Amino acid sequence: MLYVLEDTINGILMGSIYGLTAMGLTIIFGVLKVINFAHGSLLMVGMYVSYWAIRLTGVHPYVALILVIPIMFIFGYSLQKIIIRPIFIAEKNVREPVTVIIVTTGIWYILDNLTLLLFGPQYRSLGNNPLQGKMLELGEMFISMPKLYGFVTALVTAAAVHWFMHKTVMGRAIRATSMDREAASLMGIDQYKIYNVAFGIGAATTGIAAVTLIPFYNVFPTVGVLFDIKGFIIVVLGGLGSITGALVGGVIIGLIESVGPQFMTATWTEAIVYGLFLVVLFVKPSGLFGQKHDW
Amino acid sequence: MNSQHINKIALLGVLALAFALPLVVRSATYLHILVLLFFYAYLTTSWNIVGGFAGVLPLGHAAFVGIGAYTSTVLSLQYGISPWIGMVVGGVLAMIAGIIIGLPTLKMRGAYFALATIAFAEGLRVMVENIDYLGPLKINGPRGLQIPPLETGFSHFMFATKEPYYYIILIMLLLVMLLTYMVSRSKLGYYLVAGGEEPEAAMALGVNVARARLIAMAVSSFLTALAGTFYAQFSLYIHPKSIISLDMSFEIAFIALIGGRGSIVGPILGALLLRPVSDFCRIYFGDSLPGLHLIIFGLVLILVMLYQPRGLQEPISRLYQRIINRPQPATSGS
Amino acid sequence: MALLQVEKMTKEFGGLRAVDSLDLTIEPGQIFGLIGPNGAGKSTAFNCIAGAFAPTSGKITFDGEVINGEKPWNLCKSGLARTFQIVKPFASKDVLYNVTVASFSTTNSRKHAEEKAMAVLESLNFADKKNVLAGNLTIADRKRLEIAKALATEPKLLLLDEVMAGLRPNEVDEMVSIFQDLRKQGITIFIIEHIMRAIMALSDHIVVIQFGKKIAEGSPAEIANDERVIKAYLGDDYVVA
Repeated sequence: MLYVLEDTINGILMGSIYGLTAMGLTIIFGVLKVINFAHGSLLMVGMYVSYWAIRLTGVHPYVALILVIPIMFIFGYSLQKIIIRPIFIAEKNVREPVTVIIVTTGIWYILDNLTLLLFGPQYRSLGNNPLQGKMLELGEMFISMPKLYGFVTALVTAAAVHWFMHKTVMGRAIRATSMDREAASLMGIDQYKIYNVAFGIGAATTGIAAVTLIPFYNVFPTVGVLFDIKGFIIVVLGGLGSITGALVGGVIIGLIESVGPQFMTATWTEAIVYGLFLVVLFVKPSGLFGQKHDW
Repeated sequence: MNSQHINKIALLGVLALAFALPLVVRSATYLHILVLLFFYAYLTTSWNIVGGFAGVLPLGHAAFVGIGAYTSTVLSLQYGISPWIGMVVGGVLAMIAGIIIGLPTLKMRGAYFALATIAFAEGLRVMVENIDYLGPLKINGPRGLQIPPLETGFSHFMFATKEPYYYIILIMLLLVMLLTYMVSRSKLGYYLVAGGEEPEAAMALGVNVARARLIAMAVSSFLTALAGTFYAQFSLYIHPKSIISLDMSFEIAFIALIGGRGSIVGPILGALLLRPVSDFCRIYFGDSLPGLHLIIFGLVLILVMLYQPRGLQEPISRLYQRIINRPQPATSGS
Repeated sequence: MALLQVEKMTKEFGGLRAVDSLDLTIEPGQIFGLIGPNGAGKSTAFNCIAGAFAPTSGKITFDGEVINGEKPWNLCKSGLARTFQIVKPFASKDVLYNVTVASFSTTNSRKHAEEKAMAVLESLNFADKKNVLAGNLTIADRKRLEIAKALATEPKLLLLDEVMAGLRPNEVDEMVSIFQDLRKQGITIFIIEHIMRAIMALSDHIVVIQFGKKIAEGSPAEIANDERVIKAYLGDDYVVA
């Protein structure tokens, strides 16, 4: 019984980190209405940035946030501005520009394989760090400290994004664009600039997720792919475009992964996650917190 | 001589060349590369029926390749059923799978469909990796299935040389191209294009967009699975990581998009351009620069989407038109 | 029997009542105009009838069948065709292709569909542009294409949503004569329009709505002299000619 409770708690903690990794995906989709297939690669880049920042300076992993957040924001902003924006403009008469989706897969391939060329295929772990292997003892239960940190970070990030979107002028402009890009541009909002910023914010939250992962997760060139597919499932579960949905979706996946192995082999839990995804598509395609989508 | 005549002659010339190629290319390696090129061209042409005409983005077609490959292989290994029959059974199973994924997602934003197809393919791969026996059927989990080359001959879909495989995939490719051509000129083709460009307007003109897409998806999954059987018989070894891989799903989509979605020559053009790149890179840089071909794919993809969003078939067919419509020199007579 | 009967139709958007208990009766062969100031609920009423969304309550009967919430493609097949205020051509295809999509609703053969499409294009003096890509057409021609597409579905009732907006005066006159021809062919027309000159010249019967409610109804002459209508439009930028 205690094991189940322990697994449940660890599942919720890990799940909230999953939710954090998927948050950028849902933010970007909410505004651009495009699935960013390079999302996992953004996470991978964020993890390499955190890895080197921490390794080279020797600071506490979370101090790296000071560096990672702005770097990732600029990285995302530039990606959108330089590569994706021209395609949006070229295809502005197209209702749902598939070309934009496919360009993000191009970015994914380039980033992952460039990293492979630069850093090689080996797994790198941060190794000795203040959070390594730290456990919180609750009676007879052991709760992973780095995951607890990640859980708190996920909640703080979600709250911060929510505050930004509702209380700042830029945030309101982003929300207006996400609701009706035509109306927003009639109001004098530069839709493409909003896209740049939204992409930057999406990348920055992904950077935060990378920092929470790096104390206990290996980094390697294709690490993003693992979180990519998971992220897609999480955002559809929670509802594309919903930040709360991403967290809840993440927790659901985290719980299945941590409690599931009590009852079956670990690989089967993976199959269950995919099954759940397909069931949600059938029963409530807009997800738990998503709005009903038009065409 | 008018341009229609030239078109016919050019078409016949290309066909003759394709059929004569194995007489010239004697190297098994090059023939192997050509077979895979046609295999990808076939897959992409099948993909194009839903991904090109219908304006949605399926990114899990490797799942159907896998269903086709596993169905015919299991049936022939365990029950001695000819792979040709297994091929059709696999096609039908893939079609059912295609309909099941398409049913809830094809009436929503394209993103859902794209994600659902990926998740289905990945889910299927994980399942296959975990299943040794599906009821009485031996799937053999992550180790995959080996097809022992016992009896050769047409009915066994097994040949000692590469040439028969070459001709089989060539004929399959030609047939699927012909089918695509017919679809593009049919009511279904018009409905797919209309629904892909402006679903709301299409619906008001009597087009049940979701249904047209679903039919396209069913046809596309069926045809894709047939190639799976071909691949199994050609390589004699299938395992989940190679045949239900995300990389294959994406490569199909990349070839189509770079060549030109929704056009008949686009997939062929894309395969002609990209397959050699990937084979070349794998052969010469596979060890020193792994993933180089994927970087090239990514770059080409981004550049093509930026400057030729309709794919490379557009400038190339324009160039072709310009050449054949050039004023005839006076000496040519008639 | 009326061709289209709208009874007590109401459409609410989250508490906001865009159309309020509207009654309309369109007789076969009529040109029926619906006018009203900006935001009066015309487009919402139009979209409910055209099947873009279902009314919150009320009953819409077309040709003897209740069509509330019926799917657009089924409405089209039962003889109801519409145009879009923001035109939606299949931009990468030529004019003939665009119209052929529509004429496929009555046949499965491409040959027949193309012949029919050509006939429609000829009747609209549009055949010379059949090979022009729809994305390259001028505004006036896009509107004409929109009408050609609707006609190619062989409608009994044609719903026109501001097809004359953005046209030059001579182009408006051309449109007016096109619709008069269509009426002679027996097609009933329901039209929403901002250009008063056109709607007054065309319509047999006009309904005026404001805040989602009907405020007047009658022949163009009656409407032009109706005090409530003049008041509703006062201060607005309409020109009652």
